[in-house]
Amino acid sequence: MDTDNDQEGETQGVKICGPPLEVNTAADTLATSLSLLGNHMFPDVVARKAAREDERAQDVPEEPPQDTEGSLSLQATEPESQEHQDDVADGTQSDSGEFVVTVLAKAKLEEQGLGVKGHSSPLLEVGIQESPPAAHGGSHRDEDVTAESWRRHRKHIFVLSEAGKPIYSRYGSEEALSSTMGVMMALVSFVQSGDNNIRSVYSEEHTVVFLQKGPLVLVCVSSSRQSEQQLRSELLYVYYQIISMLTQASISRIFEHKKNYDLRRLLAGSEKILDGLLDLMDSDPSFLLTAVHCLPLASSLRDSLSQILQKAITPNLVFSILIAKNQLLTVVQERAVIEDARLEPADIHLLLNLIGASSAFQAGEIWTPICLPLFNPDCYFYTYISYLDPPECTVCLLLLSTDKEAFYAVAECKRRIEEAMAAQGSLGLIAKAQTYSVSQVGVADLRHFMYKPFDVPDNHRQLTQFTSPEMEAPYHTEEEKMRLLDLYRYMHGRIHSNSRPLKLIYHVAERETLLAWVTSKFELYTCFSPLVTKACAITVITKLLRWIKKEEERLFIRYPPKYSTTPNPAKSSRGAKAEQTDSSDNGFLSLL
Amino acid sequence: MPESSKMRKPDVKVVLLGDTNVGKTSLLHRYTERKFKDTISTVGGAFFLKQWGPYNVSIWDTAGREQFHGLGSMYCRGAAAVILTYDVTNWQSLAELEERFLSLTDTANHDCIYAVVGNKADLTDTKAYLSQETPDANQTESEEHRSDVLSACPTPPASPVSISGVTFPKQVTREDALAFYGRILRYKGSDERTSLPAEKMCFETSAKTGYNVDALFEALFDLVLPSMLRKRNENQQSATVDLEVCRKGGGKRGRSTCC
Ligand SMILES: Nc1nc2c(ncn2[C@@H]2O[C@H](COP(=O)(O)OP(=O)(O)O)[C@@H](O)[C@H]2O)c(=O)[nH]1
Ligand SMILES: [Mg+2]
Repeated sequence: MDTDNDQEGETQGVKICGPPLEVNTAADTLATSLSLLGNHMFPDVVARKAAREDERAQDVPEEPPQDTEGSLSLQATEPESQEHQDDVADGTQSDSGEFVVTVLAKAKLEEQGLGVKGHSSPLLEVGIQESPPAAHGGSHRDEDVTAESWRRHRKHIFVLSEAGKPIYSRYGSEEALSSTMGVMMALVSFVQSGDNNIRSVYSEEHTVVFLQKGPLVLVCVSSSRQSEQQLRSELLYVYYQIISMLTQASISRIFEHKKNYDLRRLLAGSEKILDGLLDLMDSDPSFLLTAVHCLPLASSLRDSLSQILQKAITPNLVFSILIAKNQLLTVVQERAVIEDARLEPADIHLLLNLIGASSAFQAGEIWTPICLPLFNPDCYFYTYISYLDPPECTVCLLLLSTDKEAFYAVAECKRRIEEAMAAQGSLGLIAKAQTYSVSQVGVADLRHFMYKPFDVPDNHRQLTQFTSPEMEAPYHTEEEKMRLLDLYRYMHGRIHSNSRPLKLIYHVAERETLLAWVTSKFELYTCFSPLVTKACAITVITKLLRWIKKEEERLFIRYPPKYSTTPNPAKSSRGAKAEQTDSSDNGFLSLL
Repeated sequence: MPESSKMRKPDVKVVLLGDTNVGKTSLLHRYTERKFKDTISTVGGAFFLKQWGPYNVSIWDTAGREQFHGLGSMYCRGAAAVILTYDVTNWQSLAELEERFLSLTDTANHDCIYAVVGNKADLTDTKAYLSQETPDANQTESEEHRSDVLSACPTPPASPVSISGVTFPKQVTREDALAFYGRILRYKGSDERTSLPAEKMCFETSAKTGYNVDALFEALFDLVLPSMLRKRNENQQSATVDLEVCRKGGGKRGRSTCC
């Protein structure tokens, strides 16, 4: 049995940033709201302890920070040790945050007659709570939100406006959930009124994380045992995906004009894109690592593809991206643009998800405004999307321009790319490209790994990438894949813990042994068979690093190629390149 | 093959406009792929080339947010036909056409023709509903193939003559659509007597069963034929009007003659 404990997950309490809340009469209202929320979300909530963040940190004993960079001395977390004992708050302390939650807890206990449940190991339940996410299709919209099955979803995501208007819910329709969302909003605005921002609420089984971005409030209710930080970063991805469709500037303007605007009018039809994003984040570690996964390819082939893209240009083209099997083949960037900013992995993830979610109708050529929120949250790029290998539709070309009128010019670039690729037989070669098997590394005991090198020193504008083999037996079923990913998420959460970041973790689980290691040069997660010894793991990692070094050319895009499409590079500053959304002003007000 | 793809210059442009979810993509999918699929969501605009006899018809399918991001006028520029689509079960979707989408057509050709299309007729009209192969209306997840009976039939009349068996109350009546068509003509400043009659330009369709879908597209293509011929003539007369030139022109073009 895996008895390693997750400190974050077992900590009960409300974390509130900033100074303690004033105790005031509004607290009663909040308590009512909270218990309402409890009714909706988790009838078994037992919040037992509240503390301000700084106090909480003291309560959480963790291994002392280790600086093992460059060396391979390992320290195991003792599987048997109970790392963390909860203090059970009795509600006598004066902190109002605590008071409120105690009220909530009491309310729940009286209402439901529930006792305090025993603690369970965080990783025990992982992977067995829910069958793998359903394929795209959005059938979750019709769910009965009062049903037990609705409550049991591993991760709920809600988006609402500051005025409390529902915008998106992962499961069930927003309408059916409007009262729940209203309660969440009451919670958020209550805490805001005291100049605090509510950040998260912990209960026995759930972590509730709040994120406010401009006029939008995003809430995650998770039983996945991911760290608060990870959940918050997922919420941020959801926010960015919304931005990618509307831009931040537009959203701010809309809500400045009309506080209770129903944003669903603008996002109508985009639920599937958000659904797809959430499913993808659950199953694709790219998001966790904030790095892109490129398809392994002989460097000569990758270079020839890059050259084809480099030659097919038109004014105002800024990025040419080639994708196969949802992985990157190559990216060519306008020289002047990358002097200002580099293409962030998160922007690529959002772009890939957008394509994936709308790929059902693949015969056409798409021309659409897309915002790359990390590049510039207020501007659109006009993006040409086309598949090069219909009807299979695995090889996809993306051409981003700053000129909204450039469709026909950009479509002509695609024809030229298509021609050149046909002449070189590129499609056939791409079709043969494969993700690789861990067995190619040639060491026993190594089952899987994820390796993310940091920027190579002489090319600091390089795209952050990672490499990882196929998940093979025993991680070939959806459940087992998810279980391994959950283990990685757990390791990642501890490596990147705010309070006690770690450099190295050796984690002996029931069915495997994991080692996570972060240095100034790379971040590495490895999974071994359970019987591996520390010494053996060290040898394997040494061999693995050597293998990666040898295969580097094939596994990564080494030097992202560039082109110059704009005659006058002076106008290439970030703001000037991507078109401001002002042009959309015509008719904008009539939307309100 | 690349050579031929280069040759496929569109002769005429048709644009599908209307609120999200009214079924624009489904209509086009039904027409071009003969299928109904439920997992489609459109980002921005999607460009399709459809062979119509010797002609290449370009069709833009849009997402329904056009007015907001300002690309709508680009999609509509130089259009010869605009299909204004609403959902017969959703009155608001007809209202939106008037409030948000009609103004986007300002960049269309001056002689552009307009079709008003009420989709999802299978939900309100027994005739449209019965067009489908299986009587199980809940099978939206799986692909349903177009009824053999229908495809074997000669092209159905351009407009459904009357609504015989209304299964449940319609939110948008045919009269609403006809009246809206009249207002389009007034908005365009067209003379109702010389324009195409409303009777002929208002359709009720079902992308789900295939009802009236071919009739819609084929009637429109027939009607834009003169426009195509003119365009071909123009192209022959002045070799400058083609995609190559648009590409080289780059940058800011005004209302160009290209597509
Ligand atoms: N019952 C019925 N549903 C339809 C019909 N056409 C489309 N739908 C459904 O309506 C929804 C929106 O369709 P879609 O084509 O994506 O609409 P668009 O946003 O206008 O492109 C989908 O769930 C379709 O399955 C129809 O003729 N009948
Ligand atoms: Mg659509």
